Amino acid sequence: MTGRVAVVGGGLAGFIAYLTLRRGGLGPDEITVFASEPDPAAAWRRRAAAIRQTHMRSESDGHCLPTSFPGLAVRDARQRRSLVPLVRSICDRYHPTVEDFLAHVEELRACSGWTTRVFPARVAHVRAVAGGFELDDQGVFQHVLLATGHPGNAMPEDLGSDSRAVHAYEPHDYAPTVCVVGAGLAAATEWLNALAAGSTVISVRRREPVRRPLNVPRPYLSRRGLSAFHRLPPMRRVGLLRSLLVPSYPPGREWDEPLARAGADGRFRIEPSVNGADQVICATGFLRGYRHDALLRPLVDEHALATTEEWVVLAPDSTVPALTDSTRTLALSGVAAQLAYPAADTLMGARYVAHAFLRRCRTR
Amino acid sequence: MSYTLRGRIESRLAALALPLAAVSVISATAKQWWPLELAAVMVGVGVAFDFVYHPVLPYQPGWAALPLGLFELAAVMAAVLGLHVRAPLALALALFAVGWALAQILGHALLPWWRLSYAEDGGELGRAGPVLALGVVVPFALAGMLWYLHLPPTVHLASGLHRGPYVIERRERLVGDRGAVVVGGIVVRHSDVTISHVTVIGGENGIVIDGVDHVVLDHVSVSQSALDGIHVRRAAVVIRHCSIDMRGIRFGQGIDISYGTDKGESLVRACGVVGGQEGIVTHSAMAEIAQNRVSSTSLRGISMTEMSMGGVEQNTVRDANGVGIFCGDHSMCSIERNDVARTRVDAADGDQTRAGFAIEVQFGAEAELSRNELAGNPLGLGVFFDSIVRWKR
Repeated sequence: MTGRVAVVGGGLAGFIAYLTLRRGGLGPDEITVFASEPDPAAAWRRRAAAIRQTHMRSESDGHCLPTSFPGLAVRDARQRRSLVPLVRSICDRYHPTVEDFLAHVEELRACSGWTTRVFPARVAHVRAVAGGFELDDQGVFQHVLLATGHPGNAMPEDLGSDSRAVHAYEPHDYAPTVCVVGAGLAAATEWLNALAAGSTVISVRRREPVRRPLNVPRPYLSRRGLSAFHRLPPMRRVGLLRSLLVPSYPPGREWDEPLARAGADGRFRIEPSVNGADQVICATGFLRGYRHDALLRPLVDEHALATTEEWVVLAPDSTVPALTDSTRTLALSGVAAQLAYPAADTLMGARYVAHAFLRRCRTR
Repeated sequence: MSYTLRGRIESRLAALALPLAAVSVISATAKQWWPLELAAVMVGVGVAFDFVYHPVLPYQPGWAALPLGLFELAAVMAAVLGLHVRAPLALALALFAVGWALAQILGHALLPWWRLSYAEDGGELGRAGPVLALGVVVPFALAGMLWYLHLPPTVHLASGLHRGPYVIERRERLVGDRGAVVVGGIVVRHSDVTISHVTVIGGENGIVIDGVDHVVLDHVSVSQSALDGIHVRRAAVVIRHCSIDMRGIRFGQGIDISYGTDKGESLVRACGVVGGQEGIVTHSAMAEIAQNRVSSTSLRGISMTEMSMGGVEQNTVRDANGVGIFCGDHSMCSIERNDVARTRVDAADGDQTRAGFAIEVQFGAEAELSRNELAGNPLGLGVFFDSIVRWKR
């Protein structure tokens, strides 16, 4: 098989890339998607279900379409015949339900021809060749987007062998006393879940969580903040990235009031270490860095790609500079692209990378 | 949305492109400059505000469009008034409203839908941005060039005496050099005339403006005319920084603006009038008479009468015989913050309405008064013959 464009990874980032390429004028037969399962939301759905997430952290534009408009607020307003979602969106108070988001993904999947372009294969090896990239034995493609997703759940080393420990993104129930490790959105969701289940919750955290609406401050979602970010040398960019990616969850009474009530009842407290709980839920996110990624690690090693700490050094458009030229493109999407776009592991980040990737595919 | 500065400006210009096209058509059709002037003010104020917003608004939520829009509307209207753009208020508001609404529709829906990376580019429009900027700048530049080419010719009046009457029968800007004097009066017989820094001596009336539009008198001095110093009929004029000496003229008025209700509002500002029957008077006219100094008049200091309408504000009136400020004959006057003193009782005819009133409202007139300084007059306020006075808080 030989083609123009390949997307490796059939999760949400790959799906957004596919939809963007289609919107940009590429025909379905020009795009090949390699994915282990046909449902682009499958992995995300499992994780959301594990932490019993009901609403998205993202806002109206947190969807898989290639453009930010029309967003989910417009869809919601149309379905409910109400302006309330639009007003809430204008006030940055609209967060779609997980159910709506997934239904929207399903609608897009059904009408986009995605299913016909997904080839069930797990690509394990990418090799640069003249004019493109060879993907295992699947053939050579001129432009390749690697959207491999999170390389796995991160568990604290000292809890790896603890029989009480479960990762937040794995299916679980709640014991009478639950210790939640972490301070991000998953941790905050688990505090409320466990309290709602009648548990007593102990929060173990290394630092106080930052309260902000989205994963990163909003200026870093657009060129306004990105220009300065891109101008930094890679090492300083990593430093800034670490500060931007500290655990956070949104401000709001819906988070604060249940915790305050539980605190007053003695059912929620913060402790410095894990001890004595019936269950330990590790809301500690994902393994971070290309070394944990089965596809990226050999790619970096074999092509001696520039890296800095955990990240592959990328151009602002999320391409790999050493392997991208006027004839071919290798770009990263998802969490691996954070050195190009700090919120790369969000829907908006996937869209940013997809737009840049489309520009290269369309003009070359 | 986190706009870049370029994104803000390009998005704004995109929103204003359609209104600009509309005003260009209106301007060309109506052969009026004000639509383009209004649009230029909107663009200028908007872009200036973009420079202010950029550092203080790293992120602009959607709802902020409303307060910022009101803020910008106030600034645009202030600029329109300050720059004397002759735009009808309703049309000015409508144009702003259309521009604002388009900005919301474009910024929140159409541009993000049309341009894939609109949001992440901070509102920038890529290659379309400079094209759009040119699309706005070029028509304005052309209009500006056209405006410049159509400016009235400037005529410099050399210093020294010029025998009048000097009759202006074309669009003209008459500028007097230092010491330029016209003896025998000036008659304006064409619209779009500006006269500045000219001294007029003599003439039946010092300066006559009759039935023409857009006349401005700036820094003119008039003396020794047989009748009125400045005589305006069926016209709306702007008179500022003038000096009228009517001493020894028994029947003339310093400035007489009459019978121009349908012509719009006249403005008399920062003038000094000495002597004459009435210092400044309007008959059946709309006028704003402000910050003038009137003294030693034989009938009234400042007078609005015969269904006139307007404001008399911040004037100083001294030594008026009979009445200081007069609002009469079904006129509607706003009389505020004037300083009237040393009004004299008109002893000649024994008329009780001329008993030295600082302010008099007479014969079905309506006046709204506020914060006038009326000390040192025989009588303060006189209200006669079905007239109404209200005090503004």
